[in-house]
Amino acid sequence: MTITLWGRLSSCNVQKAVWALEELELPYGHVPLGGRHGGNDAPEYRALNPNGLVPTLRDGDLVVWESHAVVRYLGAEYGSGLLFPQQARDRAAADQWTDWTATTFQPAWIGLFWAKVRTPEAEQDAVAIARAHDATVRCFQLLEDRLGQSRYLGGHDFTYADIVAGVSLYRWSTMEIDRPSLPHVEAWHERLNERAAFCKAVNVPYDELVGRLAF
Amino acid sequence: MGDLRILGRVTSINMRKVLWTADLIGTEYVTELWGLPHRDPHEPEYLALNPNALVPVIIDDGFVLWESNAIMRYLADTRRSGLWPVGAKERALVDQWLTWQVAELNAQWGYAVQALMRRNPAFTDEGRIAESIRKWTAAMQILENQLIKGGGYVANHRMSIADLAVALSAHRWFSTPFEHPDFPAIRDHYEKLKATPEGQKYMSAETP
Repeated sequence: MTITLWGRLSSCNVQKAVWALEELELPYGHVPLGGRHGGNDAPEYRALNPNGLVPTLRDGDLVVWESHAVVRYLGAEYGSGLLFPQQARDRAAADQWTDWTATTFQPAWIGLFWAKVRTPEAEQDAVAIARAHDATVRCFQLLEDRLGQSRYLGGHDFTYADIVAGVSLYRWSTMEIDRPSLPHVEAWHERLNERAAFCKAVNVPYDELVGRLAF
Repeated sequence: MGDLRILGRVTSINMRKVLWTADLIGTEYVTELWGLPHRDPHEPEYLALNPNALVPVIIDDGFVLWESNAIMRYLADTRRSGLWPVGAKERALVDQWLTWQVAELNAQWGYAVQALMRRNPAFTDEGRIAESIRKWTAAMQILENQLIKGGGYVANHRMSIADLAVALSAHRWFSTPFEHPDFPAIRDHYEKLKATPEGQKYMSAETP
């Protein structure tokens, strides 16, 4: 059984897959793709992933993309009780925060990252930055409330919900922006920072993305 | 199972995903009308359930859950429905398309739907309408290819919760007035699901 992961390591969506693989100590091959590596539009990649986006994961005869489906799959196949809850209601809670990250949280914080970091300074739009900042802070406030009630996003234990939301933390904490005081989020960030898989996957410099809208 | 309550309004596509799933599973439920122009989801009573002030929310014997895809998976999982396969690999493919529907497909139509279907006066930029239609069409082309490969279903050659999600998206596509390119596999899939009692109920002209 060999696992292959396609995607550039500076992509926050690829980072989710790397974090899950490392967390589960699974051996895998990695193919850098996208960004400065190119290859998104190559016919052989489009045959794996018709969207041309990263990541894509292959495990035996399964090819799966959409980062949240990838981490859920890795959890279900290899991580029962580790990052994949065994009880249906616990899984549902992890799913809720995972889907919220897809529909609400990530569009907000990635929007801010694009407006503030990826857009060249001369082209930056203060109104767009302020709007993205407001949306992102509202999401972090919601995380703050949640993490005031439970140790991890899905509940008492670490799950894939922490992975998909937690990939935001390195960029959120290093972008040149105002950050409100969020003690529960900060404590969660510290707990995640104690995990080797988080450090390897997420604490990745993003110099190659600064001032670059191209990919 | 005990008492299941579903909160929301049927005009919401996300509410219809959940109601359709519940109907197909055959689980009993009661609905409570929330969402504008009815009861404002910003009321404290609702915010206590879902701080995002969005519909739907379910309360299953005291267990509160929001995000429509999470609810669909949970209902199919706890009621042991074939709409959500048991094996991790088959499940991954259903999950992939379910996630794609919210992340890649629905993300494209916003401007075009506001402009052409809702006739919202704040959405009249012709360039942005064209851009929205172009991206929406590109996503629908990906779905078309998948339905051809999948023998008329989104994943694993059989019906799943992902089929309900994309059929509701196709309903929005066909309900939005513009020159549609022909996607025969999408049309067949849509008409097949629309011919069912639930399809007629949740893909009517009143809920575009």
